[in-house]
Amino acid sequence: MFKNYIKIAWRSLKKSPFFTFLNTFGLAVGMAGALIMSLYIYDELSFDTMFADADRIYRINADIKFGGEANESAEVSAPMAEALKNDFGQVEMTTRFRNIGSVLIKKNNTKTNVKELSAAYVDSTLFKMFGIELLYGDEATALTKPNTLILTKTAAEKHFKIEEAVGQVVVLENSNAYTVTGIIDDLPQNSFLRDRGVFMAMSGYADAQENGWVSHNYFTFVKLIENADMSAFQELLQSMVGKYIIPYAQRIYPGITEEQFVASGNYLRYTTIPLTDIHLYSDRYTELSPNSSIQNVYILSSIGIFLILLASVNFMNLSTAHSLKRAKEVGVRKTLGSRRLDLVRQFLIESSMISFFSLVLALLITVIVLPFFNELSGKAIAIPFTNPVFWLLLMLMTIILGLFSGSYPAFFMSKFMPVKVLKGTGSVKVGGGRIRNALVIFQFAISVFLIMSTLVVFQQLDFIQNKDIGYAKDQVLIIEDIYAAGNHVESFKKEVMQLGQVENASVSGYLPTPSYRNGSTFFKDGSSDQEDAISMQKWKVDHEYLSTLNLELIAGRDFNRDFSGDSTAMLLNESAIKILGLKPEEAIGTRIQDLDQEDEKLFTVIGVIKNFHFESLRSDINALSLSLGKSNGYMAVKLNSGNFSNTIADIEKIWDKIAPGQPFNYRFMEDSFNTTYKAEQRLSRVFIVFTILSLLIACLGLFGLATFNAEKRTKEIGVRKVMGANVFQITYRLTVDFLKLVGIAIIFSLPLGWYAMTKWLEDFAYRIEIGVEVLIIAALLAIIISIITVSYQSIKAAIVNPVKSLRTE
Amino acid sequence: MIQIQNLKKSFRTEEVETLALNSVNLKVETGEFVAIMGPSGCGKSTLLNIIGMLDNPTDGAYFFNGEEVGGLKENQRTKIRKGNLGFVFQSFNLIDELTVYENVELPLIYLNMKKSERQQKVKEVLERMKIAHREKHFPQQLSGGQQQRVAIARAVVTNAKLILADEPTGNLDSKNGIEVMNLLTELNQEGTTIIMVTHSDRDSHYAHRVINLFDGQIVTESQNKPFEVNAQ
Repeated sequence: MFKNYIKIAWRSLKKSPFFTFLNTFGLAVGMAGALIMSLYIYDELSFDTMFADADRIYRINADIKFGGEANESAEVSAPMAEALKNDFGQVEMTTRFRNIGSVLIKKNNTKTNVKELSAAYVDSTLFKMFGIELLYGDEATALTKPNTLILTKTAAEKHFKIEEAVGQVVVLENSNAYTVTGIIDDLPQNSFLRDRGVFMAMSGYADAQENGWVSHNYFTFVKLIENADMSAFQELLQSMVGKYIIPYAQRIYPGITEEQFVASGNYLRYTTIPLTDIHLYSDRYTELSPNSSIQNVYILSSIGIFLILLASVNFMNLSTAHSLKRAKEVGVRKTLGSRRLDLVRQFLIESSMISFFSLVLALLITVIVLPFFNELSGKAIAIPFTNPVFWLLLMLMTIILGLFSGSYPAFFMSKFMPVKVLKGTGSVKVGGGRIRNALVIFQFAISVFLIMSTLVVFQQLDFIQNKDIGYAKDQVLIIEDIYAAGNHVESFKKEVMQLGQVENASVSGYLPTPSYRNGSTFFKDGSSDQEDAISMQKWKVDHEYLSTLNLELIAGRDFNRDFSGDSTAMLLNESAIKILGLKPEEAIGTRIQDLDQEDEKLFTVIGVIKNFHFESLRSDINALSLSLGKSNGYMAVKLNSGNFSNTIADIEKIWDKIAPGQPFNYRFMEDSFNTTYKAEQRLSRVFIVFTILSLLIACLGLFGLATFNAEKRTKEIGVRKVMGANVFQITYRLTVDFLKLVGIAIIFSLPLGWYAMTKWLEDFAYRIEIGVEVLIIAALLAIIISIITVSYQSIKAAIVNPVKSLRTE
Repeated sequence: MIQIQNLKKSFRTEEVETLALNSVNLKVETGEFVAIMGPSGCGKSTLLNIIGMLDNPTDGAYFFNGEEVGGLKENQRTKIRKGNLGFVFQSFNLIDELTVYENVELPLIYLNMKKSERQQKVKEVLERMKIAHREKHFPQQLSGGQQQRVAIARAVVTNAKLILADEPTGNLDSKNGIEVMNLLTELNQEGTTIIMVTHSDRDSHYAHRVINLFDGQIVTESQNKPFEVNAQ
């Protein structure tokens, strides 16, 4: 019997190649989409699970409010790790990371530097904590001594043969010599340590040895013992404030108590986050690596489920429509003794077969599409062809999909009554029209929803990119790592400014696009009362900073070389003076004390600058201070319009002359700005891809239904033509029914889309309002696409000679 | 074999109720060859469908081999139909996707017969219907007469005791029509009961008894002197 089912299924699929193609292709597209989504989500969920004892590792976070600014930090102070280890028996070990961003690294006694994008100081417990094994070197000593470092395989291979790397000396930032004491394998892409190549011994980092409890600069991980008492650990964390922070703070704010600290509305709360949750649940002020969000996983899972549902619905729709051609077979089989269950089984086997064909096609589509998807999503996902669990799950899902998609058609078709379908005239009425209509509505509702979402995401991106962000990012070139020029930074700047195509240039490590950040606490008028404290960004800039970035002064003046006292002058932004409770004009002349140990100065406010967005538009603009100082991170070069490549070549020539052998890295500020919205850009691209896929599936379904409808109404069309109807009238009649369904879909999906996207936009401090035009465009697009899909079949049916259509009846 | 008492069948659409069969009483003995005649829409096919247990009557009683089957559910009817009843249709109703052999084999599959047994039976019946040389062909590759022979082969392969034929020659030319009627007569002579709906006076002469329906009622019944087999 089973063989018979397979045989007839195969032949019946072969007999209707167009139907089989629509069904298989539609399902394959849905499956490929869902497969890619699943791989993506699996990758997202697998982050950091590869580390040994990952379930026992936590990162300590700090939620801080002080000086008018609230901050969610992923970093805590340097002595925290040691204190936790000493105070809590259940802490098995701790590891700290002090991120220092990119470094220039070269082999000793050579000139050419290589830039490593992510370097960090790290405790020697790194290996034991995360189960990282050394390929070369001794784990017991690798990171114990100052001025030693370990490299990943890829980072090492840029300089040495890896088997010879241990014991070699490298120079960082042209000044500090380090001995390579170990080589580790490249770290997994789905880990928080991805793309990191250089780990220096924390023991050589002076700041880490100090007892500075109020600076939060260390990513601190703890590994607890098995079955540790988490609530006791949380309690201990809260007690750290009273035990360590307040006594330390009393050095700066004499007499301050924990009660006073809390009563003034300030807080410092320590929390933990499991290592394996960081990637999806942590979005703090600084992170070791850019994280994703669980919201994206939800959005993409929904899209994956939508796609597979769309494809499944398509299958149901096309199969029931096609059932007209299977009615006689059902009648004959029933007459010959087939039970309904036998028929259901037969049709389910057929749908499972289509499902398997689709799987093969889907895998092929996935193989072709995955590289593009990886580029869009910034991932390195591969199909786990060698993983038996993957195949098992895939087979299981294919069978479930086949059975689910086939269930409605099977029960629908097996209901045919032989008496009705075996009349011999071939005029069988196929019911189920309402359900088919409902399914078309469902498909288009999803498509319209996705079109609308895509439009909103794009509008928001456009808004971000074109919003007045308060500084000029266009035609600004950022030259990176200019500290590599050593003492010649100033002469480099001068020479660059002399180029005709260069309007202005400014040297600073601090830019409104991703660059250094440095927060500090200041006091108004030399007070040390915590009520007068103000937490601000403290940026060191030069005299040309404002003019290069076109920052607007709303009161006072800019830094000026003619004023010798400007070394203690300060510019504040609007947010800063708001915290101080001052109006712009009132702020001028205000004295601001910086209590930073290295830089204890009394500044005078000489000007107020208009707020500009130096963080992402997701967040509000925080308090910011600018003061003169050396900070040789980047040089921002404002270019005149013209041939940029020539200008860049000219600048590079100057660089090569001033800093021979040093890498010349540059980017445009606009590109750097755009990287801040990478997540949104990726989301928008993913949306576009899946909107197109869902439309494709919905259109395949609609096309199939239009074909079926035209076939079913052949006689009616013939009669109408004989009665004098023209091609347009018939096309209109055949098309309008489908448009009604699309119309209903639009009515359902627009409010849903509006609601969902309004929620999504809430993540942005600065956002668009969803306008009526978005709703209109989404609706019109759906209508136009469905008219195009349906009209081919409708026109084809309408131009048939009526004699022919009437004869077929 | 068949006893029908006061049988009624009505069809209801949204507004109209049509009485297709109205108080029909009929008895058919085992081994009989009965022709049902009448104008289009008189209820012939409806009566045949009820006799073939493809449909249930609205009212009245239907006994098949002494068992009341008029009120049975679809699954129960299927059970009785399997192996007992064979159907021959005007439009042959062969499954296009199956070969001649597979079409004939189908009812045996539903009887859960073993493969070897099925093979033997199908071969036998195809030989007998003189269509064995076409066993690997698909229905569309055969002439109408050949298709109807396959349909008859399919009806008799289970040794059905009753064959219900709905205008078996309606789609055939006269030569093929006669061939089909001869086959049915042969089967009847071997003991198979045959009930045939027909428009054709000539075909009705093959039957022992002719029942005339009009507006859902049996209006006349007449006995025939059977035709000779192979009559031209």
